[in-house]
This record gives sequence, C-alpha cells and structure tokens, in this order.
Amino acid sequence: MTTPTIELNGLEVQLGGRTILHGLTGVLKSRAIGLLGPNGAGKSTLINTLLGFHTPSKGSARVLGLDSHTSGKQLRSLVGYMPENDAFISKMSGVRFVRYMAEISGLPSEQAMERAHEAFVYVGLGEARYRPVGTYSLGMKQLAKLAQAIAHGPKVLILDEPTNGMDPPARKRLIELIREIREASDICLLLSSHLLRDVEETCDEVLILRNGQIASICNLAEERRANRKFLELETIGAEASFTSALESIGCECAVFSSGRIKVVMPDSVEIREVFKVAADRGVQIRRMNHRRDSLEDIFLNAMEQSGASDGRL
Amino acid sequence: MAVYKRRYNSYTGSLTPQWSRFFVLTRFAFADLFKSRFFVLLLILCIVPCLFAAGYIFVANNKTLQLLMQLRSDMDLFKVESQYFIVIMMVQTQAAFLLNCWVGPVLIAGDLTNGALPLFLSRPFSRTDYVLGKLAVLGLLLSAVTWVPCLLLFGLQSGLARNGWIWSHLWMVVPIVLCSAIWILTLSLLSLAVSAWVKLRIVATGIIFITFFIPAGLGEMFNAIMSTIWGRLLNFSYMFQLIVSHGFREESGRLARRGWDEIPIPAAWGSLICLCLLALVILNARLRARETVRG
Repeated sequence: MTTPTIELNGLEVQLGGRTILHGLTGVLKSRAIGLLGPNGAGKSTLINTLLGFHTPSKGSARVLGLDSHTSGKQLRSLVGYMPENDAFISKMSGVRFVRYMAEISGLPSEQAMERAHEAFVYVGLGEARYRPVGTYSLGMKQLAKLAQAIAHGPKVLILDEPTNGMDPPARKRLIELIREIREASDICLLLSSHLLRDVEETCDEVLILRNGQIASICNLAEERRANRKFLELETIGAEASFTSALESIGCECAVFSSGRIKVVMPDSVEIREVFKVAADRGVQIRRMNHRRDSLEDIFLNAMEQSGASDGRL
Repeated sequence: MAVYKRRYNSYTGSLTPQWSRFFVLTRFAFADLFKSRFFVLLLILCIVPCLFAAGYIFVANNKTLQLLMQLRSDMDLFKVESQYFIVIMMVQTQAAFLLNCWVGPVLIAGDLTNGALPLFLSRPFSRTDYVLGKLAVLGLLLSAVTWVPCLLLFGLQSGLARNGWIWSHLWMVVPIVLCSAIWILTLSLLSLAVSAWVKLRIVATGIIFITFFIPAGLGEMFNAIMSTIWGRLLNFSYMFQLIVSHGFREESGRLARRGWDEIPIPAAWGSLICLCLLALVILNARLRARETVRG
C-alpha cells in the first residue's frame, strides 16, 4: 500500500482566535493535487499548516506520511515551496539567490551553484540570471520563485497561486513547466490556484475548500477516465414520457425548469438516438449543448452543496 | 536538470550537515558586506587604535627607545597593566558599536522587505538557525575588533615583557573575552531586533543610538527626581563600563573617581541581560513565516 500524499485527520487551525480550518478530514493519494476554493476558503492556511508554519489546534496533517507538526523539519527537507506573495532578496542576482536557497536546503556550495544555473535555464530565465531579482518583471519573479523551489530537487513541490500576475503566454509556459516537472520525476505536486484551468491542466486530484471546510475531494483522473458526456437540452413539449424514453435507452436525466434537461449519455448511445426519441414524442429540441463534465461543474456543484460533517460541506 | 538537456531531475547528491547550514547565511552576508568599500574602510579604522596600542606596548618594553625619547625609566609613563587593557577595551567596544550600527540594521531587513523569510523557513531551517546565522555575522565581525585584537595585544605584551608577566596577568584573559562577549551579544541582538522591526537603515541606526542615549538620559532624570542611583540601570554603556572595571579588578578606580555611587555588579549584568531578552522577544515576534491577523 502506497503512502498517501496528503492525509488530513480532523485538522483544525485557529489563527488570532478565529478558527480558519474546521476539522478537515480526507486522504489524497494522487501525485498531483490541486487546491481550489474562493478567497478566504483556507487554501493558504492549509499550505502553511502543511509546511509547519501554523500549529494545528486539533487533529493532524501528514505529507508523505510525515506529520507536519511533529516531523516538521524532516518534512520540509522534502519540500520545495513557491509562495503566493513576493519572496526574494532584491539586491541579489537571480542565480545567487537560487544558489543561496539551495545551500540552505543542504546542497554543498558547488552543487548548489550548478543546480542554480540549471534551474534558471530550465525555467527560461537563463539570460537574466545575473540581474538583481529586484529588477525582474512580475512574471520573471514568479519563474525565479519556481527556480528556487526546484533547485534542491524536492520530493514535494508546493505551488501557491503560481500563475498570479502572468500574461497568457507566460502562464502557458509555466503550466507546461509544471507538467514537465511532474512527468519527468517522481515529484508530488500540490498546486493552489483560483484558476480552474491551471488545476485542470496539471492535477489528478482536487481538494475543494469553502469556508475552511472540505467542499469536495475529486479524482480528476478517474473523472477523465469515466469520460462522461453531457447533453444540455432546451426543449418544448417534453413530458415525463420523454425522459423515461431516454432512460430506457441508458441515459440519466435531470429535469430543470423551462424545459431544460441535462442528459448524461453512456458511450453506447449516439446523439441521433436522442433526436429520434424526441421526434417520436413530438418534442422540439430548441437548443443542444454537448459537453463533458468539467472541473468547473465539479467546482460549482461543490460550492452549491451544503450541510457539513467531518469538516465537509 | 543539466543545462544542455533542459530537463528536470531530482537531486541525489550528498547534503551538508544540518547543524552547519546556519553558516550559509553568515557566508553570504560577509560576501555582501565586503563588496562595500565604506565597510572595508570602517573595519580598518576600527582596528587602527589597536596599532597605536601595539606601538605603546613596543615602546613600553623597549628601554633603548625610551632613552632615545629621553624618558626617565622611573617616570613609569608606559605601564601595561589592567588600566591599559580597560582603556583599550573601551575604545574597541566603541569601535564595535559604530561597526554594529553600520552592519546590523540591514541584516534582517533585507530579507523581510520582499518577504523572503518564508523561503528560509520552508526549508529544514528553523528560526533559531536563522537568528544564529545572522548573529554569527555580527559575532565574528565585532570579535575581530574587540577581544581578538585585545588578546593579540596581551600576547604581544607577554612576548615582549617576559619575566613571567604572562603568568601574573593571565587572569586578564577572562575579563577580555567575557566582557567583550556580553557587549557583542547585547549589540548584536539589539541591532538584529531593530533590523527585524525597521526596514530603513538610517532609521534603524538612529534607533540603536537612541537605545543607548535616551534611556540613559531618562535614567538620570529619574535619579535626580527620586534621589537614587537606580535610574543608571538604563545607561547601558555605563553598565558595561562597570562590568569591565569589575572584571579587571578596578572597582574603586576610574568610576569611583568620578564620584559616582556604584550600582551592584549583578544589577549591571541584569540590566544588559534584560536588554538582550527584550531584543529576543522582538525577534520572536517579528521572525515568523506568516503573520497572524487577530480579530
């Protein structure tokens, strides 16, 4: 049995007298985990707790089997962290900054220098590596932060809003880099983002937080494998017999107001069969939208759901 | 992750011992400091008094030179005893104070200005390691202008004086090292605390000066109003002088001649220790990976 990447056991964190995380419980086993949630959901607090910056008031959090509180130092020796906010030493040249951080992680001086150069070239800042970090653009600073997070070869890479402030090409490049890093090694990834697309493109499993509680844990890889197709229909004249007929050919239906029907189609059913059923029953299909279940749906569903137990909504 | 391959690889090489990593901070800080010509000049100036002191020892032990200078041997002008080392210590600790005012304020502020602290603390590197690394910068630097040159002068005098001078004066090694150590620790912790609190060098330097002069003035006001001597506990330079004089067995010497009643030595130590503790409290409050907003 493999060690889960992240294990939360009734994790509660209080800051300044307020409870920020409310007894989170869950196991995340994938190598690439996305952390989603609106502002104030507790994403950064969870990351800080995993890094041992905050002490849990109740429960525990484990990363690769190591308790974030009791084995904090051991855990941090496995981690590369890219914080959300500015984090650099402005007067240092980029490569010296990354070398500095790598040496603090325990790399001998020569190896640290070598890895710093490699990391800088790898993230695409090779030409700017001798410039002071303070003179970098926002996107370059993000890449420099990524370089310092990977230079010492961590086993867990924690990225907090990595694409913040980046233009679309830079964002695309960064997402590609993250995917490359994930695929080129056995590194585990924890990516926190507001952007569903970032998470969808890089992660296999998603933890959705809302108001300090777990709204959903979803295995994107399994969802992708299930490959469920949806039809969103706007109909006139659809009655219960129409949905019954669709269900009889293997579809799952959800009926909404104003003739809107959401149809989950198995692979064996073709769209023309839906048209045939509608024609047989005199139902007019005024609009049809064919799509797959996206992370956006999962996220919105999680946000709409309510009622909590064991830290879940 | 070789440059030519542009591919990510994890690191599988050896690691440095955990205990030694705080010294990385010290090494990088020294590299930055020695880039500044002003700093190098200041450091040299801080050592210059020791050269004069060495010259003094040389003359004191060279009868021929004294004769050439037409000094009578019974005048006893050149005496190298505890009083000599007290003067040297006082001069060098003031030099250390100036050096500390230049170096200290930027040590932590540079990391805090752009939020680099979480990068240090997200590694197997504790806040204690961080403070030790920064403290070592000031510790080594201030040692280089306080007890190290004083011990060299002691060694020079021992070598030149002969006649068992070293054995009869060996006890002075303890106050040289111990008094310098408490002064270095006090200055270092104070300037680190100020550096963690204030980002601008000029303001931070001002605060360090203020810490030594304003409380001393307030203490004297307190003394005048309450007709007591205990306000002098806030005069940290004076407390240090007391400790040095006591360390060199000169309790009834220079300070008594000023007509000042003396604060008990444990109280003087207590005053400096309290200042150190206050600095540690500030460092503890400021050096956090994440700030907690109360409410």
